[in-house]
Amino acid sequence: MARDIPGQPASDTVAVTDAEFERLCAFLYRRSGLSYGETKRYFVERRLRDRMAATGARSFQAYFGKLATDPGEVERLINAFTVNETYFYREEHQFRCLTGSLLDRIVARKPAGSPIRIWAIPCATGEEPYSIAIWLLENWPKVDEWDIEIIGSDIDTRVLKAAEAGLYSTRALMRLPEVLVAKYFRRTPAGFLIDEALRGSVRFTRANVVDAAEMGRYRGFDVVFCRNLLIYFDEVSRRQAAENIYDSLEPGGYVCLGHTESMSRISSLFRVRRFPEAIVYQKPAAPDDD
Amino acid sequence: MMTDPALPFVRRPDAARRVLIVDDATLVRLFYREALQAAGFEVEEAINGIEAMEKVLSQRFDLLVVDVNMPKMDGLALLRALRAQAEVASVPVLVTSSEAAEHDVAAARAAGANYYLVKPISQEDLVLYSAVLTGAPA
Amino acid sequence: MPLVRREPGKPQPDAGTEAADLRSADPERRRRAVRGLGRALDRNPEAAETLTGLLATEPDPTVREAILSSLVGHHDPRTAQALLPLLRSQDAGLRNGASEALQAMPDAVRPHLPGLLADDDPDVRILAADLARGLPAREASALLCDMLDRETHVNACAAAIDVLAETGTPDALGTLRAVAGRFPGEPFLAFAVSVAIARIEGSGG
Repeated sequence: MARDIPGQPASDTVAVTDAEFERLCAFLYRRSGLSYGETKRYFVERRLRDRMAATGARSFQAYFGKLATDPGEVERLINAFTVNETYFYREEHQFRCLTGSLLDRIVARKPAGSPIRIWAIPCATGEEPYSIAIWLLENWPKVDEWDIEIIGSDIDTRVLKAAEAGLYSTRALMRLPEVLVAKYFRRTPAGFLIDEALRGSVRFTRANVVDAAEMGRYRGFDVVFCRNLLIYFDEVSRRQAAENIYDSLEPGGYVCLGHTESMSRISSLFRVRRFPEAIVYQKPAAPDDD
Repeated sequence: MMTDPALPFVRRPDAARRVLIVDDATLVRLFYREALQAAGFEVEEAINGIEAMEKVLSQRFDLLVVDVNMPKMDGLALLRALRAQAEVASVPVLVTSSEAAEHDVAAARAAGANYYLVKPISQEDLVLYSAVLTGAPA
Repeated sequence: MPLVRREPGKPQPDAGTEAADLRSADPERRRRAVRGLGRALDRNPEAAETLTGLLATEPDPTVREAILSSLVGHHDPRTAQALLPLLRSQDAGLRNGASEALQAMPDAVRPHLPGLLADDDPDVRILAADLARGLPAREASALLCDMLDRETHVNACAAAIDVLAETGTPDALGTLRAVAGRFPGEPFLAFAVSVAIARIEGSGG
């Protein structure tokens, strides 16, 4: 809740004019690709007022000026617009794309015996890499024919500990069919504990996607899931991250971004590829192939 | 980015023509949008070549109006990418650029532009050439 | 068990930072060499000139991107200096790449902006107007107004007005009204000015 300051209008009584709304929308679109029109005005204004209150900005001008010079505030504003929750099977269409389109193309050029390598960065508390593991076991007919390595990385060592522990709330499992919860989780007094074998099959590591030297050990991936991270970065960091991800991929490998993210604000290194299930980005393989 | 699973398989002759405006300048996109919408076109926008490719590959367009100077992927790179991708290679492209030199025009032609207008362009010209290039009823 | 757990890999030595690799015929090797050089920029700022020098002749877009991405994070005045001539390139990809990189280093670009905004070449002035986006609103507004007050090229005016519509401050209003009056035959400019004025005037709250 916004705190009322004596002598100041409470933040939810500050009117946002048409012009201010248009300026903010133009800024957000250019900077992040988030696109809002008049129909989303209430949604936009509420979040704008929250951020103005939190930063103590007394006017739109004061707040907008801060946005131009403070990348941290841009990050917090975008965060207010994008619900950044993590749960199992989030953005399922990309997993469908993985088994419906990407993996067949990947194994078509992979020598037998070499592993398929998938990287989830950031992995937060592990929902995404474990989701990939469950999805593959359930949905990819060739899952027994190939060795598959799944690595989850994050900059935050506390979330990595939680990921390794593999203990989840009902909320994290809300999108997972009950039959899969029963199959891959054990109910404990502390929550749902992920299956031991599954827990042993995902490797968690600490990594900073912006740090080129640190990223040097991550090579040879076929698919990188990098969802809801780059949208928060400034121009310099997102470019470095894109370079590092590009180098971590095999030629012809794929990147999946979050559904509100677009490579158009990040990097020109990748080719836009459209599959029936999703749009993904590909590191070009030489010679030009699919 | 999600794709639209409900792409129409068929377009009827009276259906509105869809135009994608590709320009990094906010006011240019707004100026074109107002003119084209008033003339009955449906309009989408993209800020550079990459966003244009994302949209072209997931929605049907009858015309792209493309600026040359844009960040990340410029207009000529977009043209080359379009022309190299079978399912979208034939979409007409109207290049609008502030560059008026012969070598700029030649480069756009070589990349596969259907027509080239030097900026600033009037709303009347935009609508006229859009109608011609999309075969929209006058 | 199809799902196997392995370590991600050993840290790779800084392979490919040899100067010779910058001239390799293999773009992948050139990319690695460029990135190696980019990581060492803080210790070896002269490398910025080597990198920009390569840009003009580098045919591979992924190597170009690596060069620009290395330079973007390096806010050294010499880096900006080395990138500036590329704004005049006939190659659209190159001049836009340079412009984007420069926009991300406002402090290094600041001293050059007044000169660029008054450049003889209108195409350079157009790109320069965009560079002002990286500066604080009041400063950008003042610089762009100085430019607009004497600007004769309609597209250069348009580029400056586009930035002002987003971040311009009320000090710009007088200049904007005057510009519209100087180009009576240009409907786009009249439109751009009216939107910019409405957005600035309407954002007083």
